[in-house]
Amino acid sequence: MSILSATVASIQSNDGLNIVTFAVGEESLSMVSLELDEVIRVGSECLLNVNASSVAIGKNCSGMLSYSNQLSARVTAIESGELLARIVLDISGKHLESLITVASCKRLGLKAGDEVKALVKATEISVSRVLA
Amino acid sequence: MIAIDICKTLYGSMGEMELNVDLQINEGEFIALAGESGSGKTTLLRIIAGLEKARGTLKVGDEIWMDAKHALPPQKRKIGFVFQDYALFPNMTVLQNLLFVQKDHALAAQLLEMTGLDELRDRLPATLSGGQKQRVSLCRAMMNRPGILLMDEPLSALDPAMRTKLQQEILTLHKNFGTTTIMVSHDPSEIYRLAGRVVMLDHGRIIQDDTPKKVLLKTSGSQKFSFEGELLDIVQVDIIMVAIVSIGQQLVEVVISPEEAASLHIGERVTLSTKAFAPILSNR
Repeated sequence: MSILSATVASIQSNDGLNIVTFAVGEESLSMVSLELDEVIRVGSECLLNVNASSVAIGKNCSGMLSYSNQLSARVTAIESGELLARIVLDISGKHLESLITVASCKRLGLKAGDEVKALVKATEISVSRVLA
Repeated sequence: MIAIDICKTLYGSMGEMELNVDLQINEGEFIALAGESGSGKTTLLRIIAGLEKARGTLKVGDEIWMDAKHALPPQKRKIGFVFQDYALFPNMTVLQNLLFVQKDHALAAQLLEMTGLDELRDRLPATLSGGQKQRVSLCRAMMNRPGILLMDEPLSALDPAMRTKLQQEILTLHKNFGTTTIMVSHDPSEIYRLAGRVVMLDHGRIIQDDTPKKVLLKTSGSQKFSFEGELLDIVQVDIIMVAIVSIGQQLVEVVISPEEAASLHIGERVTLSTKAFAPILSNR
């Protein structure tokens, strides 16, 4: 799991369903959520949880993808096991991890220093704590 | 080796039921006996203790405790029994309760020391907390250095913090005295912490006999994270459906598709599951 510090930029609500947009460094991130804690308002600083296994990686992306979150990232480290690989990413100075199969890691030819896109569905992001 | 092969007809609230247990237990094992109430767990303990008659045989090591011809009386069986409601002698002090079993002052002192009851030795049970009473009853059960320690939901009346503490003490006593322990328990975390093997009874029969992890880890397909609950409501939000499920002491919301919603009925028991990768674990 990765924890990202973020600031709420906007909140759209309909019928108990919310889409919250956060600013994470220079990137923007959106989250789909059911009931939202009342303390979360525009300007709130939050810690976001992103599970490493729900972060996909794109390299030289050209087609269109539905992912709400396509963050520009740089690969800082790769930890390869027998079957799974942990890709450590830097997103405008913030740390995010992605857990993918070794096969995918090889298919993309990933190595430290690569510029990639970190792909995260808006439903896979959650707020772990509201700081202010 | 304890070889149990017993049969007994029980008359419970559900009518007649045949308790039929064939079970081999190795010396030094810690067994959790699980299953719904009325499944025969307590009766099985009482049969092992000699407090109830049954058909069949019961062999402990080379000794025959029960067969078609005779039954060894309870006081001749090397057992300790811990009941849920402590069952202490109210007119005796803590120390006297222990010595009643066996006039072994050294062992009594050792047990009181191990369980931190040293300072309470001269108190009467009525002046003790639930946790302290159960400690006394645990010590008393160890006074005749039992080969088999039988416990019938010993911790179910205690609060969670006290429970965890006593679980540790039970485990210490079990190991130090090298007893074979059989404990009735409903609490998965307790079973996981203490037992090396779980025997699950249902309507008088053993339906599962395996390690705690195998028996307790609820899985369905590749879903590794699963809870049982009651479906309380399904509400539509935007284009999605949200199911409200009560699990343990809390309510959770789960997003489902309209198709899933159509196949579910409010009020029914449901299993909520997700893969081991999805949940996020955090400390308080």
